[in-house]
Amino acid sequence: MDFDFGERATLLRERLRELIATEIPSGYLGAFTDDPADLEIAQRFCRTLAAEGLLTVAWPEEFGGGGGSVWEQTVVREEMWAHHEPRGAQYMGLNWVGPAIMAFGSDEQRQRFLPPIAAGEVIWCQGFSEPDAGSDLASLSTRAVEDGDGWRVTGQKIWTSYAEMAQWCVLAARVGPMGAKKHEGITIFLVPMDRDGIAVRPIRSMLGPHHLNECFFDEVWVGPDEVLGGVGQGWAVIRRALAHERVGIARYARCDRLLSALAAELGPGGIPERLRAQWARALIEVRVARLLAYRAVRGQEEGLPSDDRASLARLAVTQCDQHVAELLFQAIEGRSLDGKGPAAPLAGAVEDYWRYAQAATVASGTIEIQRMIVSRALLGDRR
Amino acid sequence: MNPSLPDEAIAIGESVSRAFGARGGVDMARRAETNPAVRASEAGTLLDSFGAADLDPRDGLDSAAAAAELCRAAGRVVLPYPVVSALLAGANPKRPFAVIAGPDPARVDHGDLFDEWTVATIDGSTYDATVDGSPLGSRLGPFVTDVRVTDVLVAEPAPDATAGNGSAGNAAADDALTRVQLALTLGGWQILGTVERAMELAIEHVKGRVQFGQPIADFQAVQFQLADAAVAVGGLRELCLFTLWRVFHAPESGAADALALRVHALDVARSVLRVSQQLHGAAGVCDEYDISVLCRHIQPALRLPFGSERAVEELAREVDAIGFESLFPHGGVRL
Repeated sequence: MDFDFGERATLLRERLRELIATEIPSGYLGAFTDDPADLEIAQRFCRTLAAEGLLTVAWPEEFGGGGGSVWEQTVVREEMWAHHEPRGAQYMGLNWVGPAIMAFGSDEQRQRFLPPIAAGEVIWCQGFSEPDAGSDLASLSTRAVEDGDGWRVTGQKIWTSYAEMAQWCVLAARVGPMGAKKHEGITIFLVPMDRDGIAVRPIRSMLGPHHLNECFFDEVWVGPDEVLGGVGQGWAVIRRALAHERVGIARYARCDRLLSALAAELGPGGIPERLRAQWARALIEVRVARLLAYRAVRGQEEGLPSDDRASLARLAVTQCDQHVAELLFQAIEGRSLDGKGPAAPLAGAVEDYWRYAQAATVASGTIEIQRMIVSRALLGDRR
Repeated sequence: MNPSLPDEAIAIGESVSRAFGARGGVDMARRAETNPAVRASEAGTLLDSFGAADLDPRDGLDSAAAAAELCRAAGRVVLPYPVVSALLAGANPKRPFAVIAGPDPARVDHGDLFDEWTVATIDGSTYDATVDGSPLGSRLGPFVTDVRVTDVLVAEPAPDATAGNGSAGNAAADDALTRVQLALTLGGWQILGTVERAMELAIEHVKGRVQFGQPIADFQAVQFQLADAAVAVGGLRELCLFTLWRVFHAPESGAADALALRVHALDVARSVLRVSQQLHGAAGVCDEYDISVLCRHIQPALRLPFGSERAVEELAREVDAIGFESLFPHGGVRL
């Protein structure tokens, strides 16, 4: 029994913190703000990380990675999320698009797509959810109709993060009619976002710009070499992607950092007496969420089926995110409304975090779906 | 990184659980209520047969892990025996160790089973104690006994005393703190066993109980309560493992770690026992059902030496003083 990540991971964490301290301006709240300069900072930071081989620490060496352990990858996830994800939209390509292409892609697809992801040069978006297929993702109705040796894709996607800036989309569409088993027929296509017939409409939200979009696909042509994992085999890719996503976001790390930073900014005696018990409990909740995430990562390392383990972690981590966000707001009271700026608590980081945490229990699969997955593991499938 | 118990500890836990099961599991607690002598003759003897008297959790992580699994197995059946105290007795198995809220008044579970006790407060002040009266005989604390503090063994901890820091000349204070931390930690494992078993009982019950023509497990309101309980129990399991490791890996912060486990174990027990009992319906308060006996007999472990709100106060104080292990610094500057 050992909870130590090892020396390599420790050194990696130190190096990442050094780079963040030197490359990322203080008060940085991520790539997706109203200031386009923030996006440029993220892109520059990705190039810096890529140059040191830190973008793909845990990717296999044959795919341009560092061959590091899942624990080193965990360190990257923690440090990036804790510091407002200074990789911007790149995390998605690194965390699951790349690994999915490694697992399901052809040699040609691996050679074509993995190096640009590893270099931090390309942004991907995820075309899964639809207006009528959210939690019930397998009911998606975007259709791919055969046309020559390829298909014409028509349909609408929604909640698509980074669609405006992405070069590529992992698009889920249905080939053939929906049968008794809804999962069958779903196919994943790797589609360039500049292809004719694709239109993107941003959705204004409390999260800030770029997080949410609608995407319209109007007879968009896709070729056979753009299918990932085989025609009709897309559900396996989606399941893997969602499991990666659930493990991937180390939300507890931002809870941890902001609890630490706000206490430091408030100074001695700064945490109101009435909140001391809640504050101590929050430290425990963050620790427990982190440990449950580690258990899910350990399962991944051992190659165990991860659905319920990942869902347990996600239930704990996302709710921890919201509890801590609310606690921090309780600590700063009216100043929680200040928004961003040097006069705001932590220059606006607390306010930004609270807004973003409101979506934690919905993004990448609602916690109701996670509860269903967990209860099925406990009780068997009751449907 | 390997957040799992050694195989040997798991094997011990499984063997002990089988042995407890062969004696009727929770029935031992039921029998003890009508015949308190079975605590020593059955539960104590059974523990001895597994070498509990020779197992000192202070010896190192492997020993502590075996002790932890023993405590978890005991928690699963609310074994009518002071298993944590007995494991921390040290060289003299006739003199168990317990953490108390304060020296006056002081009470321990199953105090009457031993003539002499070593008791300590959370700060490591340690005392000799003797039994003062008979067990309470109440439904929630049938074997809880008041003890009277006699001699002071460790008056107050040295200013720099931290468990395991090996500071010369204050070995007794260090040892007292180690024992306090292990008592809270192993107590967490005992509670873990109880809440794990409570959930299993709830799952069995909702799968078998038919209402409106279907097992109540088919209702999402039931499923979601169990899912949330599974998150709570899963989290407690991870925290138990982590805290045990920390006691040996980072003893200087052991007080905060052990208190964090204490707070969390009590919070989880409160919610998971409540849900497990609720899902049993009226059966949940009937002693024919194991869930009712579990909920009653674990109460001393939840209330002694102190409950969750006192524990969280103590934790906040420790965090201020020495900090709290995490990815970023909290409280004191030492971590």
